[in-house]
Amino acid sequence: MTPTLPAALTGQGLTGQGQGTSPGGAGPFDHGGTGNGGGLTLNDGAPPRRATAIRSKLADAARHYAGQWLVWAVLAFLVAVPVGAFLVQVFVPRLFDQGTSWFTLSNLTQAFQGHTFLGLFNSLWVSTVVCVIDLVIGGGVAWLSMRTTIGGRRVWPGMMWGLLLVPTWLMAQGWQYLTEPNGVLSQVGMYSPLVHHIIFSPIGVVLVDSLATAPYAYLTLSAALGGLGSQFEEAVRVHGGGRVATFRVIVPVLAPAVLASVALVFVETMSDYGVASTLAIQSRFTMATYGIYQAINNLPAQFPVAGAISILLLASAAIPLALQSRVTRGRSYAILSGRTRPATRYRLGRAGKWSLTSVVGLFFLVALGAPGLGAFAGSFVANLGSPLGGQSLTLANYREVFSGDIAYTHSIAEGASGTSGPVLLSTMLAAITATITVVVGLAVARLLVARRPGRFTKAGDLLILGSIALPGIVLGAGYIFAFNLPIASRLGIDLYETLPLLVMGYLATSIPTTSRIMMGPVAQVHGSLMEAGRVHGARALSALRSCYVPVVSRVLVLVWLVTLTKTFWELPISQLLYPPGQETVSVAIDSWNNNYHPEVGAAMTVVALGACFLVIGLVLGGFRLVAPKGWRRMGGWRSVA
Amino acid sequence: MAAVTTAAAMATTGIVATTATVAAAATSGPTLVVYSAQGYDSAETTAFEKATGIKVTLDDDSTGPLLIKVEAEKNNPKWGLLWVDGATAFASLDQQGLLMKGWEPTVTWNTLGKQAVPTDMSYIPTGLTMAGTLVYEPKEVPNPPTTWQQLLNPKWANEIGMNDPAVSGPTYPFVAGMMNYLGGVAQGEKFYKTLNGNGLQINLTNGNTLEALEAGIIKLALIQSSAGIGAGLKTHGLVKVKFLDPVTSLPSAIGIDSKAPKAEQLEAEKFVEFVMSAQGQKIMQSGDPTGDSLYWPVLQGVSPLSALPPLSSIHAQTINPYTWGAREDAVNTWFTDNIVE
Repeated sequence: MTPTLPAALTGQGLTGQGQGTSPGGAGPFDHGGTGNGGGLTLNDGAPPRRATAIRSKLADAARHYAGQWLVWAVLAFLVAVPVGAFLVQVFVPRLFDQGTSWFTLSNLTQAFQGHTFLGLFNSLWVSTVVCVIDLVIGGGVAWLSMRTTIGGRRVWPGMMWGLLLVPTWLMAQGWQYLTEPNGVLSQVGMYSPLVHHIIFSPIGVVLVDSLATAPYAYLTLSAALGGLGSQFEEAVRVHGGGRVATFRVIVPVLAPAVLASVALVFVETMSDYGVASTLAIQSRFTMATYGIYQAINNLPAQFPVAGAISILLLASAAIPLALQSRVTRGRSYAILSGRTRPATRYRLGRAGKWSLTSVVGLFFLVALGAPGLGAFAGSFVANLGSPLGGQSLTLANYREVFSGDIAYTHSIAEGASGTSGPVLLSTMLAAITATITVVVGLAVARLLVARRPGRFTKAGDLLILGSIALPGIVLGAGYIFAFNLPIASRLGIDLYETLPLLVMGYLATSIPTTSRIMMGPVAQVHGSLMEAGRVHGARALSALRSCYVPVVSRVLVLVWLVTLTKTFWELPISQLLYPPGQETVSVAIDSWNNNYHPEVGAAMTVVALGACFLVIGLVLGGFRLVAPKGWRRMGGWRSVA
Repeated sequence: MAAVTTAAAMATTGIVATTATVAAAATSGPTLVVYSAQGYDSAETTAFEKATGIKVTLDDDSTGPLLIKVEAEKNNPKWGLLWVDGATAFASLDQQGLLMKGWEPTVTWNTLGKQAVPTDMSYIPTGLTMAGTLVYEPKEVPNPPTTWQQLLNPKWANEIGMNDPAVSGPTYPFVAGMMNYLGGVAQGEKFYKTLNGNGLQINLTNGNTLEALEAGIIKLALIQSSAGIGAGLKTHGLVKVKFLDPVTSLPSAIGIDSKAPKAEQLEAEKFVEFVMSAQGQKIMQSGDPTGDSLYWPVLQGVSPLSALPPLSSIHAQTINPYTWGAREDAVNTWFTDNIVE
């Protein structure tokens, strides 16, 4: 983190070289913090022997960098190896039996032609527009609920989290049910061909993608607003500044969060398949991820072509990354320290309060209502899962989910091989994934926001953002290439189709997103917090526990829940890596749908959503009960946990 | 900083170590691994285990992900037996050398069964459905088209939907079948271009196209027969199926992994024999009564379920899976470039 220390804590005589410049964000009081060759030299003052000095420096460097290297190495193992395996067969298809050539560029040139190039172009412009819309939605809801007296301000963050729970395919399906000729609007005499055509067009694609990714913008921006105390506004006021001056001071402080939001929303939209395979394809609007799926689903599978499109997706992640790097590199945005004051709320007038409350309420009614309709309505009808056509309502689909009379394979109670059912299994796997992700993601986020980045930071950042831009199927197939090698099998290491490899696959998708989400809150935590603890005699881990964790605890809890939810619903990696007989909930729902029982799939979706909400409620309730009040007031994303 | 990274490093190292340990433990398991997309596969494998004592690990998933896994595992296959729809898919796997050849169960095929058995005996047909059957709601369409050419009539502009053959397994045989019927690839391309000019709607899979039909987005759906007949059963006749002349037969089939250990291949053969036995056929017909159980048997002496029309009332054509399987990539690419977009 930032090495800058308050003068009162540093003491020029102690640090030797003034304010710290140690690499990787280590403060001068970190144990062994000798990044600038100065640091802890409070010894007897005698010149050390040369050999001892070198040994000491090496030991210090090892201690200092070992953790960083290990974190990057693990990330490379989880992400770079499988992605690399998938991408290398673009040029060397024979390596994994995917062609006869030892070197070719034909797959790459194919990606620049016809529908694949058009798909990439469409994905790029849709993602850019979605970024702008989400800044308005996410930033607007964050500011209104955190910095004004708008009605229902304790409800809106929860709603935003609710939106995060909804898979994009479910959202697209909901909009379809709403606007189609026999849809809900039609049932109440409000069907409009114009609305139908708008939804089934690129505008509809942008709309649904914007709603699906708005929570990412909200999370990154609200974290920044939560950590932004009133001291900046007060300082402007003290110096006679008005609203414009306040705005000019505040906006640059929020720059990392805005850029983090843009980067995350951009790559999340680029990688989405849920909308690309539903609304988009029905609108004859091809997107990059659909091209990847088409190539992989072909027979023989065109993995090298899919890999070539993936390279272009990976490269697209460099756009927001370059923007972010250009704006933020070398500057400190730390605002959350021991002196941060609670923010004051802007008092809205009566008319303003009600009108803004209505706007936000209407937004959530539409955003959550449409997919809610998709999930719930289909689960209570007796036939195809569509809520229409005058069929009778029934609870039979729910009975099927719990009993598995049609085919017990995917029932709640039992998987195909008599193992525990999909909901329980997915909950367990998601909890494990979320726990590891929070710890590793926090470490990666700290490495990413360091003012003096480590040796691998830039490459790591590109890898992280690039991997988010890749659809899950690429990682899934990459995992098969990388971890199902014949030589490994000969050595008795068969990771493929085991639960541990599935968790590794989940980690590969969750750690990058989580790191990016946490960058905003982490960038705001002043390094002085840890250093203050160390000054008062705490060891590193103790200082971490007592000074750092309380400040970021709420962030960690919320990130844990995001990861849990996303992992719970993850489909492409689950489909390729789950051990036979141990279906995850997403695989089970997909199988119901593909075996012509979408009504049972819809019922299982509702049950799974219920399980998800239950876990979230328990965790948030537990945090409220267990965590001291002060923990819940610090570090962003206030009024949720 | 160091404390956080150290904690993270410890956590991840621990996970990797645990992963390796658990994975090593997980390697000892049952010998026969079945990859299947059939709705009745779970019932079938359970009965097989009970009857023979051979333990089966079932990977029950959609055809698409299963074929992706088979292709991605090429250099180190984990499956022992694959059971999905589409002879062209099996022909493609056979041409890649992924299927065991030269073995068929000792059974009495009916006429359709004989036609579906490949000459190199690399896969075993287990039943037949039809690709590209016409599904509609009689309430909305009292007089559906009776020939393929009528689909090109402006009367049906923007009212016809089908699946994307590059994503939906049972749809490529339909596209290939039309090309075969019309006299070749060029003639087939002309047909689909004209159909597309008449406002053809493209969806992902059978389920999506059926949803579009029920939602009123389209009035005629061209999908697999089992999906259409199943929808008719579930809606108590609100949805009906018509077989235009000709429809293309779509065999469900079993293939055995050519690289599997001999012991597993023998167990796979026993599994096939069980499926083709009277008990196995009964389970196929009862395991998924509104879905995959709606097939025409390929064995003499086994009658189809009553919901299925007699085969004598349908003109079904069989396409050469090896000829058309080899063209799948080219045809799908053309379809994507000219029809899907």
